[in-house]
Amino acid sequence: MLILGIESATSQVGCAIGGHEGVLASTHSSRGKRHAENLTPQIDFVRQQARVELDEISVVAVDIGPGLYTGLRVGVAAAISIAFGLGIPMIGVSSLDLIAYPARHCQKLIVAAIDARRDEIFHASYRQVPGGIQRVSDPTVSSPQDLSAEIQAQGNETLMVGDGAIRYADQFENLRGVEPAEPGSAYPSASSLVQLAHAKALREEFVNPSELKPLYLRKPDALEINKQRRRM
Amino acid sequence: MTQNLVLAIETSCDETAAAVVADGKNVLSSVVSSQVDIHARYGGVVPEVASRAHVDLITPVIAQALVEAGIDHSDVDLVAATRGPGLIGSLLVGVSAAKSLALVWKKPFIGVNHLEAHLYSCFLEEPDLELPLVVLLVSGGHTMLIAMDDHLSYKILGQTLDDAAGEAYDKVARYLGLGYPGGPIIDQLAVSGKPEIEFPRPMLHEGYNFSFSGLKTSVINYVRKNPGTPIEDIATSFQEAVVDVLVTKAKKAAIEINAKGLCIGGGVAANSRLREAVLDVCLQEGLHSFVPSRSYCTDNAAMVAAAAWRRYSQDGPSSLYTGADPNLRLPE
Repeated sequence: MLILGIESATSQVGCAIGGHEGVLASTHSSRGKRHAENLTPQIDFVRQQARVELDEISVVAVDIGPGLYTGLRVGVAAAISIAFGLGIPMIGVSSLDLIAYPARHCQKLIVAAIDARRDEIFHASYRQVPGGIQRVSDPTVSSPQDLSAEIQAQGNETLMVGDGAIRYADQFENLRGVEPAEPGSAYPSASSLVQLAHAKALREEFVNPSELKPLYLRKPDALEINKQRRRM
Repeated sequence: MTQNLVLAIETSCDETAAAVVADGKNVLSSVVSSQVDIHARYGGVVPEVASRAHVDLITPVIAQALVEAGIDHSDVDLVAATRGPGLIGSLLVGVSAAKSLALVWKKPFIGVNHLEAHLYSCFLEEPDLELPLVVLLVSGGHTMLIAMDDHLSYKILGQTLDDAAGEAYDKVARYLGLGYPGGPIIDQLAVSGKPEIEFPRPMLHEGYNFSFSGLKTSVINYVRKNPGTPIEDIATSFQEAVVDVLVTKAKKAAIEINAKGLCIGGGVAANSRLREAVLDVCLQEGLHSFVPSRSYCTDNAAMVAAAAWRRYSQDGPSSLYTGADPNLRLPE
């Protein structure tokens, strides 16, 4: 089984190919919002590095967000098109799961926080379980202040990960028992995506391309309607 | 005889469309999924709403286009998508989908200019139109008068300095509380109204540029001052003013450049009064007129396929590094 993983929910875009043997090749780029330009050539490059043909791919995994909407949709549109084009199933994984996953050996509560712009962050909490991590709160969007208050109220030993935790580090650095996020934990990785998707593929947790839904966490019209009305 | 089959995708605004066209002219399928009902309650296209709907609709629409054309993806020779101008979030969905399909099917990809696609909507039904042509391109986002001397060779004679014609329709309809989109609603009302109100004809005899913002304001001012006026009369008078300006300038341009014909394209080209007026003026002036079917005036992917095939034959494929450009201009 070969899995192509596509990840574009944050300011970086990447992809990886892997399967039973682990990750065979992966790539990321983050310079200047060029998700749509870079993704297709990246997939072709990773395919060559992994020495496979795209029609050997049996599953397409994709980061379904939450994240920056325009970039996120580039990856999702590419992933559903590839799955449709090859007639193969898909697996969707949340960006928050992807940034929490590399911290799976940590005993503390893991809080994954992704920058949502507009002074907000997308976040969810995770706990270590045998063989990986388990999400213990639903993904949500809130102000960094609200998340900070929540962490303080719970009083757990906590590890922060993700670019949202880094950007608003001042909100979390003085909380007792909270370990701040490291720069290396900032972004989801396509390799993590392939690894997590592999476990899901073994459990046959597939969806069809037409069933895959991005995780936006905000209503689409929230901030655009006022802008529209003003234009009259 | 082998045909050259183009699969084209169009997602520049609020229509998710895919089409299969043979040899740049024979339309085997043209599927358009309009989001107009979704946007109607906001009184206009909300970009984030449009982008999300494109993601949901893109693969079902492509699948339907292939099924209706009765072909398998292995028959496709070229995958095309509109790369601009338009809404960036919407364009990116179509471009990403088309590049991905081209990659996995090992077919060439080409990015298409949406304005060039509208120009080529004329050639879908009449592939042998004689050049030079004057094309009046009118939609919610554009109002342009273009001289087409040869295939893929254009000169923009004039364009709007403020609102596009379709935008003026939408804004007037919104002010009158008629709903969205304004074009078809005003067109419908105008059938039973009288063109008795003399609204201004902005820049009627000043070159080839247009301006519709002042006309919109005079309609609004008139309605404020004369609240009892039948809405049908306002609709008819407004429409007459818009069509008069569009057709007068198009006619002048066609005569000046010695055009063989006059064509219209874009969403507003579906307007019944404009279609009628273009046919009338061409008859008077002995010009060949071409008015595409309404389904090829509004955004569709068949026209994208037609332009794609023409461009590909001349310039070859686009790079897989191609992105979307919301401000892409017509190459002059």
